[in-house]
Amino acid sequence: MKMALQMAFKNLIGAGLRTWLNVSVLSFCFIVIVFYNGFLNGWQKQGRLDAMNWEFAQGQLYHADYDPYDVFTIQDAHGSLPEGESQHLTPVLIQQATLYPNGRMNPILIKGIPLDQKVINLPIDLLAKSTADIPVFIGKRMAESAKLSEGDQVLLRWRDQYGTYDAANITIAGIFDTEVATIDQGQIWLTLDKLWKMTGLTDEATLYIADSQYQPQPISGWNFQSLNSLLKDFESAVQAERIGSMVIYLVLLGIGLLAIFDTQVLSVFRRQREIGTYIALGMTKNQVLKIFTVEGGMYSIFAGIVGMVIGAPLFYYTATQGINIGSSAEGMGVRMANIIYPAFGPGLVTGTLLVLVFSAKLVSFLPARKISKMNPVNALKGKLS
Amino acid sequence: MSEKIIITENLVKRFPVGDGEFTALNNINLSFEKGEFSGIIGPSGSGKTTLLNIIGSLDSPTEGSATVLGHRISDLSHKESAFLRNMHIGFIFQVYNLLPVYTVFENVEFALILQKRSATERKKAVMQALEWVGLENMADKKPSKLSGGEGQRVAIARAMVKRPELVLADEPTANLDAKNAHAILKTMKTLNKELNTTFLFSTHDEKVMDYLNRLVRLEDGEVDKDDIVQPKYMV
Repeated sequence: MKMALQMAFKNLIGAGLRTWLNVSVLSFCFIVIVFYNGFLNGWQKQGRLDAMNWEFAQGQLYHADYDPYDVFTIQDAHGSLPEGESQHLTPVLIQQATLYPNGRMNPILIKGIPLDQKVINLPIDLLAKSTADIPVFIGKRMAESAKLSEGDQVLLRWRDQYGTYDAANITIAGIFDTEVATIDQGQIWLTLDKLWKMTGLTDEATLYIADSQYQPQPISGWNFQSLNSLLKDFESAVQAERIGSMVIYLVLLGIGLLAIFDTQVLSVFRRQREIGTYIALGMTKNQVLKIFTVEGGMYSIFAGIVGMVIGAPLFYYTATQGINIGSSAEGMGVRMANIIYPAFGPGLVTGTLLVLVFSAKLVSFLPARKISKMNPVNALKGKLS
Repeated sequence: MSEKIIITENLVKRFPVGDGEFTALNNINLSFEKGEFSGIIGPSGSGKTTLLNIIGSLDSPTEGSATVLGHRISDLSHKESAFLRNMHIGFIFQVYNLLPVYTVFENVEFALILQKRSATERKKAVMQALEWVGLENMADKKPSKLSGGEGQRVAIARAMVKRPELVLADEPTANLDAKNAHAILKTMKTLNKELNTTFLFSTHDEKVMDYLNRLVRLEDGEVDKDDIVQPKYMV
């Protein structure tokens, strides 16, 4: 094997431009595959982390009637936990409402959460400083879409526990910035005490957010949603994107491998005398076949090295500075931060390289198989047999 | 009596041509002893190279047998014939067949790498082989930088470096001018004398014949003459 590696190395270096053209194409494939996978990894990692920090913590306990994807369940999905069951849980009450910014009518959700909560990053405690009658907190996306600024007063209409409409001016006491659009767009946050008072639903909640010490146990009328189940849709979206991107990889890889295949077909044809000489000098056909196959694999190793040399600065820069995708992904309905920090682990680089090496060896082996059927006398004469 | 290292008995080689067959060698009965400096001569198409290829275990007879260094060629597997060539037979070709991406040193060294010799042993043997052919100062040159004569001398060094019992040279002077042809023939004759290596040529070059001790003439695949001769040039 050592001899095959040394000979393949010399043959490739000796082939000059032909080798470097193949290596260029393959290294481009390598960079694109690693980069895009790194982007997806970063997106997944960041989405998960943001979701934990800003929305789900370690999981959520839903009221049995609550379905976040069915707005008709929201108004009536609330209740209280039995005595002593609320340890390590933070209540959130969710109600439907209508906001009237500048005379327009916006259907929204109002969410109440305790002022002293620490389970998610939402800086609700800032509301304590406000002297307004109903101070609320909104995200920057909501502020932009409703054209609201800090200090603005806007009319809010909601229904109380009896279904009676009530309305009042609320004051935008603060605007928070988060990467998680699902706690921002189309909703306002206020203290749970205030929402209880406004709706009359004292001590009631739609869901509870669990902290890291919470031990899930069956509670009648409530369903625990683990972090993994809450992130299932997001993970599926990432997975779908990965599968979709396979088409791009296959096309790219196909182009790179076609170049190698083409080179090897030509090599076996052009280098017949060389093959004959190897055999005349005492190599077996299988040893010669191995050299040609290793040559193909070596293209991909060169491509990996060149790809890393060219790609490493790009990978490092994007992994540390992030890629600003702006708000382009918000309308796609998937959890995506404005800035994605790609994650390029050694597993990704090694895995991609292994795929390249294996597939390059395979496409080199196919044309090189002809060697095993080659008549050495004809090979020495340079006659295709 | 000297040891017979090549024996052919009723050797026949046929090639398929269209729907029929072409007989390249017919009923060849020959033997060559160790240390001979012999040639198979004859016009193009007489079967010289075919016979050399069978003796070199690159091809096998259709009928009859060829026994080289005690090995019956038709009985050898691919691996066994590769081993025979690797350990005991050196080849010199008309077009040198040097490996273009390797230096002169590496081309000569290649035969020893296949024998899995140590690096120190290889270096010593290669430098000695290059000395035999007068190319010790060109070890780092690539084949593309060599003249025809130098290229063929590298091929001789490559064939001789492993000190084989048998060297098969197929038209080794065909691409050389007279001066270079004489130079390499003298080199081979010297190596034949000093190392007692058997040389078997396939040639129709008069210059080569002037160095040979025995001439086997083939005509249409059959032995026409087999003469012990007094070489014109001695070393």
